[in-house]
Amino acid sequence: MIYRSDDIIVKTISRILIPFIQLYALYVIAHGHYSPGGGFQGGVILGASLVLLFLTRGYDEAKTRISEKTVIIFASLGLLIYSGIGLICLLLGGNYLDYSKLSVLLHVNPARARALGILGIETGVGFAVMAVMFSIFFDISTGGVLPEDEEEK
Amino acid sequence: MNTFFIAVGLSICLLTLLVLYRVVFGPGVYNRVAAISAIGTKTLIVLLIFGFLYNREDMFIDISMVYALLNFIGCIAAAKYLEMGS
Repeated sequence: MIYRSDDIIVKTISRILIPFIQLYALYVIAHGHYSPGGGFQGGVILGASLVLLFLTRGYDEAKTRISEKTVIIFASLGLLIYSGIGLICLLLGGNYLDYSKLSVLLHVNPARARALGILGIETGVGFAVMAVMFSIFFDISTGGVLPEDEEEK
Repeated sequence: MNTFFIAVGLSICLLTLLVLYRVVFGPGVYNRVAAISAIGTKTLIVLLIFGFLYNREDMFIDISMVYALLNFIGCIAAAKYLEMGS
């Protein structure tokens, strides 16, 4: 179980760094087709920022920011975005994840629709990876036993 | 200029071996944590030198920033583990 850190250096540095890490993760996701990175890498960086929050603020305070329920919702939302875009392409008469068919819905030319479709896919992957990364760290650090469960016994 | 960068990169790689000695044989856990953090920093510099050699600084700076972030978080996690013992 991880408790809140009382060291002022760690607390201040993490408070300053976490927003910049998240901004950088959004940059990595959005620029995935120009530079190294993409959905998975950006999701991992987003997850790392949450892990830093969890390490410095402890279990109790991190749970008020992002609870297990929120993590599950984010993971399912990412999967829904990914498979939803693929299924929409399938319904519009193309193959699964054939983004060029999205040009009918978005009113742009097929090349532009491909770029936007890939951005949507990367966003979904980023959500899912962030949530699952944090969930793995959460489960390992608590050993699968939450404080609420121990109180009920 | 390329020769200079290659020489700097090679010497940093050789110096990393000295730090690796401290990781393997170093007395105490604190020496090991500090040495691992130093190895991470040296890896970052070698990445940047690769970027200059291939003239793709923009891409390698992105990668090295992520490496620095993960190194920082890993260092904090190790320190937290030593503090709490759990």
